[in-house]
Amino acid sequence: MASASPITAADAGLPDYVTRQPSGFYRSANPGTKLAVAALEVVAAFVLPGWVGPLLVLAVVLATAAMARRMRGLAAIALATSPIVGSILVINLFLLPGASDPIARLGPLAPTWSGLSFGLQTVARLLAFSLAIGLVYLTTAVDDLLADLARRGLGRRVIFVVGAAVQMVPATIERAGEIVDAQRSRGMDTEGRIWRRARGVLPLAAPVVFGALTEVEERTMALEARAFTAPGRQTLLRVPADRPKHRVVRWAAIIALIAMVVLRATGRLV
Amino acid sequence: MSGFGPGVDRSAPAASAGAFADSRPPASDRSGVGSTGPGSAPAVPSIEFEAVSFAYPDGTRALSQIGLRIGSGESVAIVGQNGSGKSTLVRHLNGLLRPTTGRVLLDGNDVRPIHVARLASSVGLAFQNPDCQLFSGRVSTEVAFGPRNLGIHGGELEERVRAALEEVGLDAEASTNPYDLGYSRRKLLALASVLAMRTPILALDEPTTGQDARGVARVRDVVARAFGEGRTVIAISHDMRFVAESFRRVVVMREGCIVLDGAPDVVFGEAAWGELRASYLEPPLPSVAGARLGLGATVTEAAFVAALERRAGTISR
Repeated sequence: MASASPITAADAGLPDYVTRQPSGFYRSANPGTKLAVAALEVVAAFVLPGWVGPLLVLAVVLATAAMARRMRGLAAIALATSPIVGSILVINLFLLPGASDPIARLGPLAPTWSGLSFGLQTVARLLAFSLAIGLVYLTTAVDDLLADLARRGLGRRVIFVVGAAVQMVPATIERAGEIVDAQRSRGMDTEGRIWRRARGVLPLAAPVVFGALTEVEERTMALEARAFTAPGRQTLLRVPADRPKHRVVRWAAIIALIAMVVLRATGRLV
Repeated sequence: MSGFGPGVDRSAPAASAGAFADSRPPASDRSGVGSTGPGSAPAVPSIEFEAVSFAYPDGTRALSQIGLRIGSGESVAIVGQNGSGKSTLVRHLNGLLRPTTGRVLLDGNDVRPIHVARLASSVGLAFQNPDCQLFSGRVSTEVAFGPRNLGIHGGELEERVRAALEEVGLDAEASTNPYDLGYSRRKLLALASVLAMRTPILALDEPTTGQDARGVARVRDVVARAFGEGRTVIAISHDMRFVAESFRRVVVMREGCIVLDGAPDVVFGEAAWGELRASYLEPPLPSVAGARLGLGATVTEAAFVAALERRAGTISR
């Protein structure tokens, strides 16, 4: 007699939102754990002195990303920071106050070794910060994060604000792409000279802003229609897993974070 | 012929459209077509998709080996379930999307190296969501944006704006802020803003969505007029009644492929219902009723009523 196969989530008609279980130590970690680790990394990057903090954090973040197979996404985030990285380097290289060890003379400009060192250190801190937060974003579904915040008793209005803010970024990018396509279809030049492209700012920006405002109104009404402000405790359709090993990591991160701040505040970490 | 409904001739889809009497004047007599303004009659380019495949950056394959020729001045509806590749196909016409493999030709010329801004003078594309394009503080300024980008100014620009607004019934709203209009009228405004460009090819993405009966009739008139002027009209639609009544050729897409292509009476004919249902489409009601009553191909209400009257006449005699 053939043994009865277990009923799968798909058989039971449950959506992916309810049933999905990320795999791997980091990806399957509770969103609260990931946030605690990211907070520790961010603080460490800025509080630990010299090169130790940023390089240590970068090493940990990159190793975690490799484990979670999110290196490509992280590379995209690093690339997105390149404009600010470039400006930090240029400004510090040429304009660091008090720097008096020139690398060379370029007319009125004199790049300095201390400017270069300080600029690179600042860039490393910025990258550590961006990538630590970026890794959480790349490995955590927004609804998991919100469900976890709700489970921890955060008010639903706060959760809505957090969720709307996080979800707005990809939604706005997608909408902006559609708007660019619509205006290009009406002959707007986005591939020609810069001054011609500059003329297209209003036709692109206005629908994004108006659309966002309209969306806020519609979203508010849709929430009201679904009893968003109804009194009483809500039940959660999905509760993200919180395993003991992840709880240990979370509390270790929180304790390390507090210790680091206290040590820094009392001058024992300089 | 795999994937085609019985009775549909894939090799000569345009010819099958000949099932309808073409009451238009000869192309040489048509005027007001194209981007150069009224009175001139630039040639309306033919469109050809040569083995076009397209995959989005995330790997989603949206089009698969599409081979499609749309002759100058045809009216073609593209139908299919959501995600079947209709919008992706149409966005290849003006270069918004470029084929992963294959070629898109306008009058035999590959559009790949041509900027979208230049192609906009040949292909006017009205998007499904009007709010993606409206930005001006006045309806008239909004409509003027497209033709002005094509280099039209002065009296001709004013005339185009006035004519386009009149065509969609918004001539009394020229000074209104577009965001003070309701959704259906904003959609008509978006249509007017493309009509004012007077492109030889007009592509409409879901033009009847959100329209009441009067709005649908208005869109139907716009399509009929553009077709009458000799322009090529292509529309994506889920509204089978609108498709049956307004277009002479229907292309059915499923999973990035063309599965049916022919005149409405063929594509909506009983022999093709299996293929339609596999594409999650329903034939228009008159077509179903006509088949049930043995009246033959009656894809429109007018055809159905005429067939009923013919039968009644036969019985009474």
